[in-house]
Amino acid sequence: MRDLFRFLFRQRDNLLFLLLLGLGLSMLIRGNMHQRAEWVSTSNAAIGEVYALRNDVVAYTDLRVGNIALNEALARERERASSIVERHDSGAVRTDTLRHIRYRYRAAQAINSTTHKAKNYLTLDKGTLDGVDRNMGVIGANGIVGVVREASPHFASVISVLNEDHVASAQIRSTGHFGLLRWDTRDPRTVSLADIDKHVPVSVGDTVVTRGSEGVYPPGILVGVIESVTEDPGIPFHLIVVRLSEDLTRADHVQVVSDLMKAERDSLEASAPRE
Amino acid sequence: MIGTILNNLARFVVLILLQTLLLDHVDLANGWVVPYLYVLSLLMLPLELPLWAALFLGFGTGLVMDLFSSTPGLHATACTVMMYGRALMLRALAPREGYDQQDRATITRMGLAWFVTYAGVLILIHHLVLFFLEVYRFSGAPVTLARAMGSASATLLLCLLVQLLVSRQARPR
Repeated sequence: MRDLFRFLFRQRDNLLFLLLLGLGLSMLIRGNMHQRAEWVSTSNAAIGEVYALRNDVVAYTDLRVGNIALNEALARERERASSIVERHDSGAVRTDTLRHIRYRYRAAQAINSTTHKAKNYLTLDKGTLDGVDRNMGVIGANGIVGVVREASPHFASVISVLNEDHVASAQIRSTGHFGLLRWDTRDPRTVSLADIDKHVPVSVGDTVVTRGSEGVYPPGILVGVIESVTEDPGIPFHLIVVRLSEDLTRADHVQVVSDLMKAERDSLEASAPRE
Repeated sequence: MIGTILNNLARFVVLILLQTLLLDHVDLANGWVVPYLYVLSLLMLPLELPLWAALFLGFGTGLVMDLFSSTPGLHATACTVMMYGRALMLRALAPREGYDQQDRATITRMGLAWFVTYAGVLILIHHLVLFFLEVYRFSGAPVTLARAMGSASATLLLCLLVQLLVSRQARPR
């Protein structure tokens, strides 16, 4: 008996090795058989936190790709929505079963932009090869961004909303009164809405949307909300300041809108007798 | 003593995190090269560590890896085998007059040839056990063998790199 204990004591390292080896192998075999799920669930409760932390960091590297995908999805959705909504002529809403598309939305990315100069521009990573051309409207996820000024095969230069040369007609959504948007506030977050008569009731917080009369932006695209309304006795119009809903200092993923019926409309308006 | 323990503990934590958070997510050569750098924390344990402690530490380290990769027993077994092999390796590679008090399993202390032999053999043992237990069969053995060898060389390379990068000691004259 003493010999046995002495033997065991002398071999304790080897026995420990065999014990641990057996333990590991039995875990492995049981895990491979059927109890893996149980182990996984208990282990994930303990380890999940660490992986969640890692994901918090790593997710940022995937954001770029994710944003592009989302922007393209938004472009498709807008295209679908506008092609249905546009068809409510003659009083009744006509469901357009042919999916006749009036506006085409193309996802693009602003690769360069300024917001603090007197005349601000953006550069997009899409050009004529992608169907982007001059006088097309550019909108972000939250509102209007600008108008394409020039397009090369691969790039497009855009006149920002924050540019003295940018003029667009817009209307107050609740009343339908329209005026001209101009950037004379010198503030990258606001524009002014001119030419709204004083008799029109205007209140702070009203939503301003595009009117779409010049065929650049589709009608009904969000511009912003009215931030302040002031009166000047010498002018028959309100002095309205609109807070832009799109943060131009951050606009990155944008969409270029083209009106597929613009040529038809332009030729009609050119041939129709004025006066 | 306390310093040695803290040193090894820090090395363990850093290497495990490096392994689970970074290396496990890097797919080199379509699964043919899967480095397991965390074994370096076991390879660099003090030389005078008794075998029973080495076995426990190996099993424990493997178990932590198993927790992270939800492979019960896989890393634990491979590490246990490797730590047993480590004792044999240390005996076989011992200098004629035995290990010095300050000897540690590093390139700067023991020399490049010693470390490459020591780490190379042990990493290969670890990876062979690991990869064969992982596929859980012997059919297709050449493929598994090739994966183990490829990964083992990558692990060894990383081990050398880490040691060269973080070694602060001056080379012995």
